[in-house]
Amino acid sequence: MKAPSSNVQAPGFARNRALGRAAVKWLVSVAVALVFLAPLLWMVRASFTEEPRIFLPGFGGWFDGWTVGNYADAWRRAGLGRGLANSALQVAIIAGAGLIVNAMAAYAFARFVFRGRDVLFAGVVILIVLPIEVLAVPLFFTARDLGLTGGFGAAMAGLSVPFVAKAFNIYFLRQHFLSLPMELEEAAAIDGAGVWRQFWTLALPAVKPALATVVLLDVLTHWGDFLWPLMISTRAETRTVQLSLANLFTQPPLQWGDILACAVLATLPVMLLFRFFQRHIVATEARAGIK
Amino acid sequence: MTAWEKSRARAAPWFLLPALALLAVFVVWPMVRAAAWSFTSADLLAPERAHWLGAANYSELLTDARFRRAFGNTALFALMVVPVQTVVAFFLALWVNRPEPAWRWLRAVFFIPVIVSTPVLAVLWTLLYQPAQGEQMGLINAMVQAIGVPPQAWLRDPHLALPAIAFMSVWQGVGLQMMVFLAGLQAVPGELLEAARIDGAGAWGRVRHVIIPSVRNTIVFVVTVTTVLAFRIFVQPYLMTRGGPGRSTLSLIQSIYETTFLGQDLGRACAASFLFLIWVAFLTLLQRWIAGEERG
Amino acid sequence: MRQGAARMWWRCAQFPLLALALVFVLTGASSRAARTLRIWGHQGQEGENHAMREIVVAFNRAHAAEGVSVEISFFPDFQYTEKIAIAAAAHDLPDAFEVDAPLIARYVDAGLLAPLDRWFGPADQTDFLPTLTEQAKIAGKLYSVAAYDSALVLYYDRAMLAAAGVAPPPADGWTWEEFLAACAKVRAAGVEPVALHMNESADEWFTYAFTPVVWSGGGKLIADDGLRVRGVLASAANIRSLTLWQTLFTRGFAATDPVDPNPFGHGKAAMDWSGHWMAQLHLEAKGAQLGAAPLPHVGAQPVAPCGSWCWSMSAHTKDPELAATWLRWVTSTQHGIVPLVRANGAVPARKSAFGEFPKYQRPPYALFRRQLETFARPRPQTPFYATLTQHFAAALRDIARGADVGGRLRMAENEIQKEIDRRSAHGSREAAR
Repeated sequence: MKAPSSNVQAPGFARNRALGRAAVKWLVSVAVALVFLAPLLWMVRASFTEEPRIFLPGFGGWFDGWTVGNYADAWRRAGLGRGLANSALQVAIIAGAGLIVNAMAAYAFARFVFRGRDVLFAGVVILIVLPIEVLAVPLFFTARDLGLTGGFGAAMAGLSVPFVAKAFNIYFLRQHFLSLPMELEEAAAIDGAGVWRQFWTLALPAVKPALATVVLLDVLTHWGDFLWPLMISTRAETRTVQLSLANLFTQPPLQWGDILACAVLATLPVMLLFRFFQRHIVATEARAGIK
Repeated sequence: MTAWEKSRARAAPWFLLPALALLAVFVVWPMVRAAAWSFTSADLLAPERAHWLGAANYSELLTDARFRRAFGNTALFALMVVPVQTVVAFFLALWVNRPEPAWRWLRAVFFIPVIVSTPVLAVLWTLLYQPAQGEQMGLINAMVQAIGVPPQAWLRDPHLALPAIAFMSVWQGVGLQMMVFLAGLQAVPGELLEAARIDGAGAWGRVRHVIIPSVRNTIVFVVTVTTVLAFRIFVQPYLMTRGGPGRSTLSLIQSIYETTFLGQDLGRACAASFLFLIWVAFLTLLQRWIAGEERG
Repeated sequence: MRQGAARMWWRCAQFPLLALALVFVLTGASSRAARTLRIWGHQGQEGENHAMREIVVAFNRAHAAEGVSVEISFFPDFQYTEKIAIAAAAHDLPDAFEVDAPLIARYVDAGLLAPLDRWFGPADQTDFLPTLTEQAKIAGKLYSVAAYDSALVLYYDRAMLAAAGVAPPPADGWTWEEFLAACAKVRAAGVEPVALHMNESADEWFTYAFTPVVWSGGGKLIADDGLRVRGVLASAANIRSLTLWQTLFTRGFAATDPVDPNPFGHGKAAMDWSGHWMAQLHLEAKGAQLGAAPLPHVGAQPVAPCGSWCWSMSAHTKDPELAATWLRWVTSTQHGIVPLVRANGAVPARKSAFGEFPKYQRPPYALFRRQLETFARPRPQTPFYATLTQHFAAALRDIARGADVGGRLRMAENEIQKEIDRRSAHGSREAAR
């Protein structure tokens, strides 16, 4: 739909009216945006509020009772440093290793001609619809049998390795490899570059935006993981950030300020990511239509 | 196949091996195992002690009060979320679909909850729904009180808990579906809109007769994807209400989780997982079918 | 081209490397004791939790010279069973952990627990309350020890009973006929006779609090093999006992959906069917007016329930000696029982520990001790306890709301037996025959 206000040719009176209408639209938008974001704004404000004032309604005491004590408490009580670091490691392994592994498979499906390719690819595509929730329980046993439960190293592997290969990412990257001109590799082959060099130095850099997409998608998805870490992480030292938060949330004495501070800290990394890759993230999520 | 292609094809196994091996180990093999367990009495703490039950796990699940309640709750949740989220997302998309770059900020605003992780939002909304205790109350109660409605114990009232979680989910997901609609709206032919305007169609007429028909496929996509996502709900009720009060917010996934770890009934849990998988596959096929129907 | 590749490698690698570095910086290279024992406890109330932390600190201080220490993690009650199940399935159980008493049989059946007889000999076993060893002994071996046990009694307000013309119950409690007659008089005086806490959300409350009614009438919930409820749960004796229990609701003596969590303490009910955890509060509220008697009994003898959190050792611990050292510490009078019982008000687990608590000379505490030493019974030992308690609680909820006692018990019997048959190899053989 074309916005009516784009009609800027209107002279005089009509033009003033158009301006007025634009102003109204703007005001309505700001109001709606404020109401829409109120929960998150409240979260940030309340995380800096002394415990007894958190649930006082109204904005009368907006400037009273500021404190950063909640953050110090949350950091200590939830072991947040550990949680943040574990989550960072988890998403880094998934996104980093996943990038290479999935791109290789996608490249093979897009660029190599071999027997059984279409059947194999169809098999991969079918796996896309499989929700993790269906697999979680049997996958848990597979992880256990492979020694991916228990201490720090094992649990970190258990949190990440099962999600490195991802059917959707293979499917998505294949589309992008398909759109590259074949001449790229042919020219390189004449220069004597092997298949791996063609892939690594030509094809991969050519689909950089798509690679960024799958990395962002992986990071956002797995940063919020809950069900799987709930099962895999059996020790305090292997908790992810979401588990640290949930732990603070379920263990008395409940300190709401600490919980909110923990929630803010758990959100900060994705917010920073959003700040720097906003347009990319929006396009990515919309395309994948997941979450 | 040219000689060049043939020589390249020799590399194929090496390119495919890492991903396919991982998928085989972490997706296909667990599925096969779960399928086998679902026909047995496998026990979480001693899966090897299982004996063969045939289809008993499946047939008993279909009449199991708890499982049916969980399915009913989840279906009810989807019924609340999907229409509301789709309609709101559609109109938000119309509202923010303006060419001036200055409007980009508004799109970002609606998108922010999408990227915040679900556990954080579940925890946050539990606090927002905090019932009144003397002067103290959560933001939602402060807001409803401002418009003259008495404060409610949202998450502790069996009739309000599920709608409250649904409301939160709509808020969380609407930005994503808005973006999908925005992409769909780019495909609406400008000439058609112009023609409708010249014919004297009002804003609503243009939405009804031009825009909705042209984004039909997007609507089908949004509705089915949202439905599948709604059926996968777990974290919100698990953290916010633990499935209660009573069983009023027990979700399908939580019932599977509890069958596994509280009932320690692995065979039954695997059967429930497969019923869930069949349901999700059915929804996905339904979308393909409706979308395909329209195209053909 | 080569340079591009190198840059790309670096880009891919830097994030994981950074994250790994972050892990080490944020967590620090913690210097660990030579032998560290992992233990799990339930969260409990703040005071109890604090006491448990102090016990761990004291243990570590006392054993610092030997280079051993324990590390405790707490989980809230509602999550505890699921956490144990996950850890057991992941083959990553802590070395020692708390277990809710009626689940011991299940864990032993699944091979999770180590027998403790080597470290807790006859001298210890006779010092523990008999209910504790009875609950924790399976096939002649002891699988758990405890610092405290629980007690459930009928509290009453002397003044309120007297005002209604009711004499206080005798030392062994009323029979159900006497109890119902007393309730009728109190009701006639315009007071709610008894609080039964039917709004309790945990299934376990129902099995814990009301199985004594069944037992006192000579019945059982499940056969002694722990695998058969058919013909046991819906026996004529049980139907009779629970019909008496149902009378409390049909005649309006107790509320099916109470709103007030403590009507007795607030002076709205004359009697309270409740546990040791209310003793302190009730004493403060009622003073000398507070009385306590054993629960009413269908047959000639009173029966009381028992059981609480116990400590067990993982069958797969790599350091059973150290685990046993911890178990001895936390169940010793000086280091474990005294601080824990001071914090949570439960009943000391060792007879020799009662000397530390003068209040056990006086009511209602004296009754707690007496019933645990003479007529308390642990909940049934069965690997299917979770199933049993879930269906039995559901049946009791329905019976309180007026369901036909016999029909509802037979329904529960069928549900439970079906589940046992489906899940146990024994049951399937039975069914095939």
